[in-house]
Amino acid sequence: MEKTVALMNIGRGVRAFILWILVLVWIFPLIWLTGKTFTPNSEIIRSATTLFPEHWTLENIQAVLQKWPFLRWLFNSTLVTLGSISVTVVVSLFAAYSFARLQWKGRDIVFVLFLSSMFIPWEINAVPLYFVTKYLGILGTRPGVFLPISAMPVGMFLLRQFFISIPQDIEDAARIDGCSSLTILMRIFLPMTIPVLGAVVIWIFLFAWNEFFWSMISLQRSAMVTLPIGLKNIMGSQNIDYGGMFAASLLALLPSLLIFLVLRRQIIRGITVSGSFR
Amino acid sequence: MRSSVSKKKKLTRTGVEGILFVLPYGTLWLLFLFLPLLFGFFISLHKWNPLVENVFIAFQGYGELFRTPRFWNSFWVTWRFVLMVIPGIVLVGLMAALALHSKLVWGTQLFESFIFFPYLLNVSIVSILWGLLHDPDVGILFQLLKRLGIATTPLLNHEFWALPMVAFTTIWWLAGYRMVVFRAALASFPAELYEAARLDGAGPFRTFFSITLPLLKPTLLFALVLTTVGGMRTFGQVILMTAGGPGTATEVLALYMYRVGFEFLDFGRAAAVGFILFLMIFILVLVLLRFFRLGSEMR
Repeated sequence: MEKTVALMNIGRGVRAFILWILVLVWIFPLIWLTGKTFTPNSEIIRSATTLFPEHWTLENIQAVLQKWPFLRWLFNSTLVTLGSISVTVVVSLFAAYSFARLQWKGRDIVFVLFLSSMFIPWEINAVPLYFVTKYLGILGTRPGVFLPISAMPVGMFLLRQFFISIPQDIEDAARIDGCSSLTILMRIFLPMTIPVLGAVVIWIFLFAWNEFFWSMISLQRSAMVTLPIGLKNIMGSQNIDYGGMFAASLLALLPSLLIFLVLRRQIIRGITVSGSFR
Repeated sequence: MRSSVSKKKKLTRTGVEGILFVLPYGTLWLLFLFLPLLFGFFISLHKWNPLVENVFIAFQGYGELFRTPRFWNSFWVTWRFVLMVIPGIVLVGLMAALALHSKLVWGTQLFESFIFFPYLLNVSIVSILWGLLHDPDVGILFQLLKRLGIATTPLLNHEFWALPMVAFTTIWWLAGYRMVVFRAALASFPAELYEAARLDGAGPFRTFFSITLPLLKPTLLFALVLTTVGGMRTFGQVILMTAGGPGTATEVLALYMYRVGFEFLDFGRAAAVGFILFLMIFILVLVLLRFFRLGSEMR
């Protein structure tokens, strides 16, 4: 008995040790990035093996902000993300209610069609989407980026799943009182749905804020460039500016860090709700 | 009689209402998801040049593609990449989730945050960061590998090592997400089962293999399906870190599609690659879901 306890403790110790190595590997790149951001460009190459600078400086950050329209990218990313979120929330609420509670011909067929489209990886639609948005005249605009994001069915599924679990009695009582579907959706369902809606918002936020492939194709040579695409442009620019790349990455990381610090619990909970879809 | 008439009337009213409620989302879905899919197939049957004239060539384009070695190269690169990324993400995610769940390490929240945080970064940040880590002039990782005698040239320029390194970066980026999902699953398992196992004198290994693993199976298999799908559409890391190189050693299908379309301006072939990718993923998902009997998980 004592021996097994001792063995278990050793086992625990070994596992804990492996885990701390894992954590170190995971955060090391970010610490390194922070150090190099504040290292003068002349020192960066000379001291490839050090973690922190001899002389701390803000010149890299200043140079990036001067040379590139960083705030403009931030603004574009914010608008694209807000656009995806608001459109998704509105259209998904109505569609989910219809699929969960209203009777109409062909409803189940349409639903299965939507459901099976969940695994259409959206990258593969890039070529036709390019022409579709071009014909619609929204290629290279912000709606051209966020409307296709809102066409993804995940938000609608999560909401429908939740609406189905709301007891029918509540709705029947409201119907007898003469409430319309719209009133029921807005006054009864919506307030109950806030937690699930939160998960949907977080899902769309994570997707839209970091979206790369479609933005890259649709925003070529456009003033609407988002943060990920702007960073790509820095990376692809003619003369390699190491300090600039470090600083730009750290600056682009800050909004994510800020949101994570404020909304950590909500984000984690949101993922556990929507986790079975991605 | 009267009641049946009013009932019928009510039904048609909700019928119209039901369709009206679906209409906004349905329009988006048709325009930006379903229509592009059909349209992509349509494009793939043409020699597509919107500036001059589109020539219908039926499935010749697909035949042409299947005779192109570069297509098959990206096909196999994609599979190799997926086979490296899946076990990495699932293993790291699972190990971290188990550790958090059994309170193996102090500072649970901090631990979770550190592993999860990279997931919140966009692919450009991730790729620049890891690209710089491998950089021969400034990269601390390259210096380390060099001093250990493992690398003489940067691994991202290495025919064999470039792909595993991109895969590792992907694992670093995405494993935290799986950790959160696994951890939620672990937390939902009934505590009584574990209590009973403890009373019966089951050790940690026995408990893991007899209780945790069977309960975790659906989540695990689902994660497998989703990471496979995610891996097959990989694009950003590759174009940013290696641009498909050296040569075409890391050119995955999505990158090949992008190049054929937007660099070689052969939209017909690009659409064909896209459609093949779609079929591959769709069939794979259906087979896996059926095989693992996971269909019910999705409702």
